[in-house]
Amino acid sequence: MDGTQTPDKSETDIWSEAGTTRVPFQVYQDADIYAQELKRIFYGSSWNYVGLECEIPEPGDYRRNFIGEREVLMIRKDDGGLSVVENRCAHRGAQLCQALSGNAGSAIMCPYHQWTYTLDGELTGMPFKRGINGKGGLNPDFDMKAHGLVTLRVESLNGVVFASFDHDVPELKEYLGPDMVKYFTRIFNGRGLRVVGYERQVIDCNWKLQMENLKDPYHAGILHLFLISFGLFRLDQESKCLVDDSKGHSVLMTAKGTEEGKEDTGGVRIAAPDFSLTDHELIQPRLEFPDNVTLSIQTLFPSIIIQAQCNTLATRQVIPKGPGSHELVWTFFGFEDDDDEMKDLRLRQANLMGSAGYVTLDDAEALEFSQVGLSGSPAGEAAVLEIGGTDCESNDHLVTESLIRGFYMRYRDIMGHGKAGA
Amino acid sequence: MTLRRIERLQLSYISAIDEGPLDNWPHFFTDKCLYTVVSRDNFDRGMELGVMRFESVGMLIDRATATQHAAVFAPRIIRHLLGPAMVDDTGEGYRSRCNVAIYQTSPDGDTMLLMTAIYNDLIVEQDGVLKFKEKRVIYDTHRIPDSIVYPL
Ligand SMILES: [Fe+2]
Repeated sequence: MDGTQTPDKSETDIWSEAGTTRVPFQVYQDADIYAQELKRIFYGSSWNYVGLECEIPEPGDYRRNFIGEREVLMIRKDDGGLSVVENRCAHRGAQLCQALSGNAGSAIMCPYHQWTYTLDGELTGMPFKRGINGKGGLNPDFDMKAHGLVTLRVESLNGVVFASFDHDVPELKEYLGPDMVKYFTRIFNGRGLRVVGYERQVIDCNWKLQMENLKDPYHAGILHLFLISFGLFRLDQESKCLVDDSKGHSVLMTAKGTEEGKEDTGGVRIAAPDFSLTDHELIQPRLEFPDNVTLSIQTLFPSIIIQAQCNTLATRQVIPKGPGSHELVWTFFGFEDDDDEMKDLRLRQANLMGSAGYVTLDDAEALEFSQVGLSGSPAGEAAVLEIGGTDCESNDHLVTESLIRGFYMRYRDIMGHGKAGA
Repeated sequence: MTLRRIERLQLSYISAIDEGPLDNWPHFFTDKCLYTVVSRDNFDRGMELGVMRFESVGMLIDRATATQHAAVFAPRIIRHLLGPAMVDDTGEGYRSRCNVAIYQTSPDGDTMLLMTAIYNDLIVEQDGVLKFKEKRVIYDTHRIPDSIVYPL
């Protein structure tokens, strides 16, 4: 594995100190660091979200996705099991499936020369294997077994499918750890899932900034004027910020605050407008989990976010597209047994989220401001992450950047960027 | 004559968005209405989820107000280019379909195609004025190259 390689000294030197209160701006724009991230993180020993089982109910169903910049297919096999293979023909490298989703039947066939694979990715045949009239074709000792598709390790947790390029990666539950599994299964509790719809959006900033934003409760009570105006999010709400032992995953949760009165922001007035909302349903969640939490955001290393804001449930997958851009794929979901009222609520409350969302619109814009702002900054300049101290511990308050500091502890370890904890 | 009036309605509608004021935008709709912006990808899968979904003038006013006073975004210019409308007189109103391309220009002056879409509208006459009872914006560009700040 790459993790054992001795890191290039120039990469480790960009971190000015042992901890993660300073994140060098190079990590958001350097092409070499980006290439290392793909290799060590996305193609290394990580579990990556590839979709929901309910997206591929029938044998032969597939859905295309990305891990890092490599395309993969999540496939339902004949026996009901799952496979994930790279979407690249072992012959000449052509993309196998072009549609976003579909049904491959009982075999995956490359459209270029019709090389054919099982749904597990084993090469089974190709036209003119023995040539014509004994002329041409493949050498008889060609090893079919050695020319299958690149297969990934795959695991599903209550209908959510993850894959890894590393076949020796620890089991998914071990990778997530007990705390993260607990909050993951709070939402994915085994009930049948259904996809409510998709949204995809390109945001021109480094993928890590997107992850940081979902680990940054501090911004939410300041940037999101919409949330503040309607008491949907306040920094003084009953809340929890949980970091797992590996420091790479986290959960951020708040209970519903009161809609009246402005928060105590320590003398600083948040400039939020005063206006009333016609559509109160938008901010009136129907409690559907056995607690009074109305906002929970779980971020799993490296690049998947599970959000439950009121009754909008969604996975947000962050797909890196070069150092300065990423794609954000939202899969809004609900449960098979949602009643009509709940179906309606999910559609309506989706106004809060997505590429035009009352809340997330601000995020996408602010993240692009960050990328533009830090671009071209001279070596040595770094983001300052000292809100809430310097540690990476869990908190019962929201004015903290400890979750981001935790992310970079894990990041530095995997990237070989010095010893983060030293 | 009706076709002219519908064309005029569509042009006034996009002008309220492109030229403002945005406060006029909600009033192109009947009190109870349906305004949705749904990707063709969702639509073809039978999924109604949209980047926006409003069902009354009140909800549209919320959006117009929030966009102007409770959202943080870089300034931009929006430009709608409309194709001709194909109009059918159904019993309950006029069904109007027209293609639309929406461009966006950044503060630095770069213009990009935000999306291509079709307006699939149901238009009714109310006190002598044509209004949208339904406006479904079904967009092709489902990997949206930027955020959607203004209504479409
Ligand atoms: Fe945010």
